[in-house]
Amino acid sequence: MTGPTSGTRPDEIRRHNRTALLRRLHVDGPSTRASLAAELGLNRSTIKALVDGLAEAGVVAERVPALRSGAGRPSLLVLPQPQAAVVIAIDVRVEHVAMGFVGLGGEILGRDSWNLHRTRDPGEVITHIVESARLMADDLDADAVGVGVSVPGVVRRADGHVHEAPNLHWTDVALGKRLEAVLKLPVQVGNDAELGALAEHVRGAAQASSDMVYISADVGVGGGVILSGQPLRGTGGYVGELGHMVVNPRGNRCYCGCDGCWETEVGEPALCRALGLPDDAPRGTVVAALRALDDPSVLDEFAGWLALGLANIVNVLGPELVVLGDLYTALPDAVVDSVSTAVQRRSLVSRAVGGTQVVTSPLGRDAKLVGAAELAFEPVLETL
Amino acid sequence: MSEPILELRGINKSFGPVHVLHDIDLVVNPGEVTALVGDNGAGKSTLVKCIAGIHPTDSGEVLFNGQPVQIRGPRDAADLGIEVVYQDLALADNLDIVQNMFLGRERTKAGLLDETDMEQAARKTLASLSVRTVKSVRTQVSSLSGGQRQTVAIAKAVLWNSKVVLLDEPTAALGVAQTRQVLDLVRRLAEQGLGVVLISHNMNDVFEVADRIACLYLGRMAAVVSSKEVTHGQVVELITAGRSGDLGIARPEAATI
Ligand SMILES: Nc1ncnc2c1ncn2[C@@H]1O[C@H](COP(=O)(O)OP(=O)(O)OP(=O)(O)O)[C@@H](O)[C@H]1O
Ligand SMILES: [Mg+2]
Ligand SMILES: [Zn+2]
Repeated sequence: MTGPTSGTRPDEIRRHNRTALLRRLHVDGPSTRASLAAELGLNRSTIKALVDGLAEAGVVAERVPALRSGAGRPSLLVLPQPQAAVVIAIDVRVEHVAMGFVGLGGEILGRDSWNLHRTRDPGEVITHIVESARLMADDLDADAVGVGVSVPGVVRRADGHVHEAPNLHWTDVALGKRLEAVLKLPVQVGNDAELGALAEHVRGAAQASSDMVYISADVGVGGGVILSGQPLRGTGGYVGELGHMVVNPRGNRCYCGCDGCWETEVGEPALCRALGLPDDAPRGTVVAALRALDDPSVLDEFAGWLALGLANIVNVLGPELVVLGDLYTALPDAVVDSVSTAVQRRSLVSRAVGGTQVVTSPLGRDAKLVGAAELAFEPVLETL
Repeated sequence: MSEPILELRGINKSFGPVHVLHDIDLVVNPGEVTALVGDNGAGKSTLVKCIAGIHPTDSGEVLFNGQPVQIRGPRDAADLGIEVVYQDLALADNLDIVQNMFLGRERTKAGLLDETDMEQAARKTLASLSVRTVKSVRTQVSSLSGGQRQTVAIAKAVLWNSKVVLLDEPTAALGVAQTRQVLDLVRRLAEQGLGVVLISHNMNDVFEVADRIACLYLGRMAAVVSSKEVTHGQVVELITAGRSGDLGIARPEAATI
């Protein structure tokens, strides 16, 4: 937390403290006034003034904690009110779209999802999103204040323009602008793996890690990177195509034009083949096959490629934690352990930092939805 | 290669003189949503009740995990890991959420119900589905909305680690938004590897959630198709005429009850 600099006007200081307090409640949930004061380094009267203001605006509520510790007057518990700020989170995947209304504090208040089997036409996807948003808004009696969208492709952050989303067969879709025009709300679009990383950082396995990489497979493979607590973004925001790191020059041709991209060895179709399933088996079928696996050695080659790519990534980026997401969360523990061990053995950076941890995401299939919600909340917390 | 979790072979069922199900073959794969569709009276509910052990079958075989099984009652079905969710009578109104989720299989500690354990397990299960339900798992079911009730009924399948969930028109009594919410939950169950059979009359819902569509026509399985490979029109034809182009029963006009 950076403190306000000297010369800042009092209302700016109050604004800054209010946002810090809201962010703390949004991310970590209900807290007592006492612990908020301690963690934010503010005195109790400042906290009282802030909380009173937020309570008056209906953003938080206060109540006496159920479990009292020690004697004396208990510190009041401050609870974020989900309905006080609701955002729309949208996760466009290759085979499905998932959507949620997410309240302050991160609770998913309502959900919808649908197959993209028959059409992936951007216009139809947008129409369906808008219909679902209206339905959910009526049902929940909630006015959303922002929208976050996750897309498996190359996205320009400034305006949510999707340059290329190969698995969706999208090129140059002005998704951000088009959604803003119909939803009449601020819309932010991000790359799916980048938002997965954000979700893990805020609510998942990487809450305590400021240097982490999130790798996920949903048909293709992508990666999101957080270094020194900040998302790594290249020019215009185009970073994260870790799946197109070439690992096997004698490997299969990838749609991006290269041969032997990492994705061709560790993507969903490759995993399907290792399991003896058709390349396009439904997600549940792949998960069920992984659960029922008698002989994990059929995944040896797959795990070898996974470890090789991860060792490269760890050497280049030096994270303390690698989170495997989406489809990878269904990998048997033994496979994840063997990959983790192989990465520690092969990567000199991993050895130097005493062993980079490789874990699976606790958010599973929802990581990108959660990340999209957090993307939408970022500006909201500053103005609430 | 994943094996079917549930397989029906040549199931026949009559009520007295009325032959309701004719030589039904059906495969339920783990991780897939199979929609079961057909006109009113086609035999969908009867088929589900045969699998659930509520109706005895006249002939045919049921295989679970590749093994022939005899399902003589709801208890047998539950023991195998088959959970059934009906349109309305899924829950007991006068009991709370915890009691409903454990109905008939209360956890016991030295012969007594362990309320704390049950409450915790119910809460954990609902949280794992990350759906908003109710403030307390001690809420009486009678005070829940239709969508919440179906969510609790479906959550039972997760709590009991079921392998197959059969849902007979779970959304028929729900509004549109609640329907979408329940279908989203159904889809997520399949993505966790469960085999799901969903009965619905709403073609839009079927296409948005199902991987495969099993079409019943006058008690016969007209066709089982991939939802990626057929149109609404084809499925409607299969339902109403038993045939669509190359798909379906060879001579539907000969199919009589
Ligand atoms: N217990 C019963 N006794 C006698 N006949 C029955 C019984 N249950 C169902 N039937 C008959 O079996 C046929 C199939 O009924 P079923 O309820 O399975 O149809 P369904 O496909 O579920 O229809 P719906 O879409 O209306 O629910 C109907 O002709 C019905 O009248
Ligand atoms: Mg019926
Ligand atoms: Zn490539």
